[in-house]
Amino acid sequence: MATSAPVSIPIPSSRPALSWKDRVQRFLLLDSTLGYLFLLPALLVIVGLVAYPFVSAIIMTFQAKTAGAPGRFIGLGNYRELLASEQFLRTVYNTVVYTAVGVGVKFCLGLSMALVLNQERFCNNLFRSFLLIPWAIPTVMSALNWRWIFDDASGLINNVLVRLNLIEETISWLSNPHLAMLSVLTVVVWQGTPFFTMSFLAGLQSIPKELYEAAEIDGASVLQQFRFITLPRLQPVFITAVMLSAILTSASIQFVYILTNGGPSDRTMIFPVLSYNLALGGAQRLGMGATVSLFFFPVLVVFIIFLTRRMLREKGE
Amino acid sequence: MTPSMTTSRRALQTIPGQWGKSKKVTLSMTSSRRMLKGLGNVVLVLMLLWTAIPFYWMIATSLKHDKEIYGYEATLIPQQPTLDNYATVFRETPYLLFMRNSIVVAVSSTVLSMIIACLGAYAIARLNFPGRAFLARSLVFTYLVPTSLLFIPMFALMSALRLTDSLHGLTIAYLGFDVPFCTWLLMGYFKSVPVELEEAALVDGCNRVTALVRVVLPLALPALVVVTFFSFTHAWNEFLYAHVFTSTNSARTVTTGLANFMSQDVFFWGPLMASTIMSALPPVVMFLVLQRWVVQGLTLGGVKG
Repeated sequence: MATSAPVSIPIPSSRPALSWKDRVQRFLLLDSTLGYLFLLPALLVIVGLVAYPFVSAIIMTFQAKTAGAPGRFIGLGNYRELLASEQFLRTVYNTVVYTAVGVGVKFCLGLSMALVLNQERFCNNLFRSFLLIPWAIPTVMSALNWRWIFDDASGLINNVLVRLNLIEETISWLSNPHLAMLSVLTVVVWQGTPFFTMSFLAGLQSIPKELYEAAEIDGASVLQQFRFITLPRLQPVFITAVMLSAILTSASIQFVYILTNGGPSDRTMIFPVLSYNLALGGAQRLGMGATVSLFFFPVLVVFIIFLTRRMLREKGE
Repeated sequence: MTPSMTTSRRALQTIPGQWGKSKKVTLSMTSSRRMLKGLGNVVLVLMLLWTAIPFYWMIATSLKHDKEIYGYEATLIPQQPTLDNYATVFRETPYLLFMRNSIVVAVSSTVLSMIIACLGAYAIARLNFPGRAFLARSLVFTYLVPTSLLFIPMFALMSALRLTDSLHGLTIAYLGFDVPFCTWLLMGYFKSVPVELEEAALVDGCNRVTALVRVVLPLALPALVVVTFFSFTHAWNEFLYAHVFTSTNSARTVTTGLANFMSQDVFFWGPLMASTIMSALPPVVMFLVLQRWVVQGLTLGGVKG
């Protein structure tokens, strides 16, 4: 930090030599010593709870391993078996559809919600708070609630539809192969939209009002203002929110696990659920389970690296 | 909708060269503003309904007798509201134990990750040492790695350390997410505290540690509140680790406890909805109280969506 000038300052000889204790204290308070010391616990956490498990996940993919027993090396056996299994191919397809549709719809709804909440209105803060609540509710709780809403016999939707005489027989929202994915996505969107709303709303509020005033004076229509001011200004927020949501949507297990557990006949099977079922669902094939997740890591890592850069840039690193 | 659209388009065409004089322009602007406002109100009502109906169903179900929940006498509005379901939850299920476990895990992982994160964030924000940038990057990176990539080896690790079915194990496991995230969030806030204040403290005889505790932390108090909120709710809401690492009720948290009720094939939606509401309350109340800061913290960067 402080660079010493090339002039040597004479140290008064009367000054007593530093005691051992002082020296230790000085050493400890050096920027670099202190830096490492302060970061040590965080580093231990990263290494022990993320890096080490991650590396051992990679090793497991080359092993036939069950819980509690040491793994047996089988080379690319797990990978070969997965690629040959129809269930896995279905899972890849489902995961892509699930993530793309989920994020896409959340994005559109979130943007419209944010635009609406950005208008001036009586009690707007109250509406905003209310619309954001699904984000604060534990995901498992929303999933349970929706499972009951979709219930075959007495759930809300069937209940209402029967009452209105719109259907003769109740609809199996979660066990009909054609409807299951749609139903699960409905829940994903319900729970995930507020995150987009919040991000976009904050983005909207950071756009200087002067830009709109100037555009208005120049005669730009509302649509033009949206196209040439709002959208470009929100772009950074768009990218961050979409990437983050893509990582989390594809990798979160709760909705599918609770609503359908991947069924009917793998129609809603996405990779975290498959990984869980293979590893802990009965056969306890930890190696196979790890291989499923690892398959998706290359895609995720691209997003993660990109986001890391963005997030650090925002912090001025 | 269309008439005012066309007027505004016509107004646009009159603009070139004479925008200063044209009254028509401002007029059509206000009318299209009004139209947008109307559209906004309609959308808002739809959004409110879409958000509210599931809540309504959850609450209504929790207040009904079984005969109003299932079968031909099922109702949309509870005819004879009752709190029986809530009583059942406490009387016949280990729900209180789950609650206690959740609180213990959430509080302890929050406290631990706060301490670790404050130190780490301060080091990255203020101290100069080789490898600083790399460490900052690895923190963000680890925060973004989803737990569904890690739960299998974590399960093996926890089993080997005999930390399954224990609140200690769960608390430790949650640090893997909380610490990187909190460190990253605090880093930004610490940077926004003016260096001059700290330098003054250093001149006045503080060392780095006392400067952190006496100067930086008090100034970053709003940040500490946000970080507390995020790590508490994360631990409270977490499902995968809690589900994988526990197999008996002794260490089940509310999330995995309730999911487990359901998988037992005992279909009792009344009590289940009652316990769902009670489990959702703590994070929702915290969110509503701290909303302003939470949204701010969220915009400073990504938060689990």
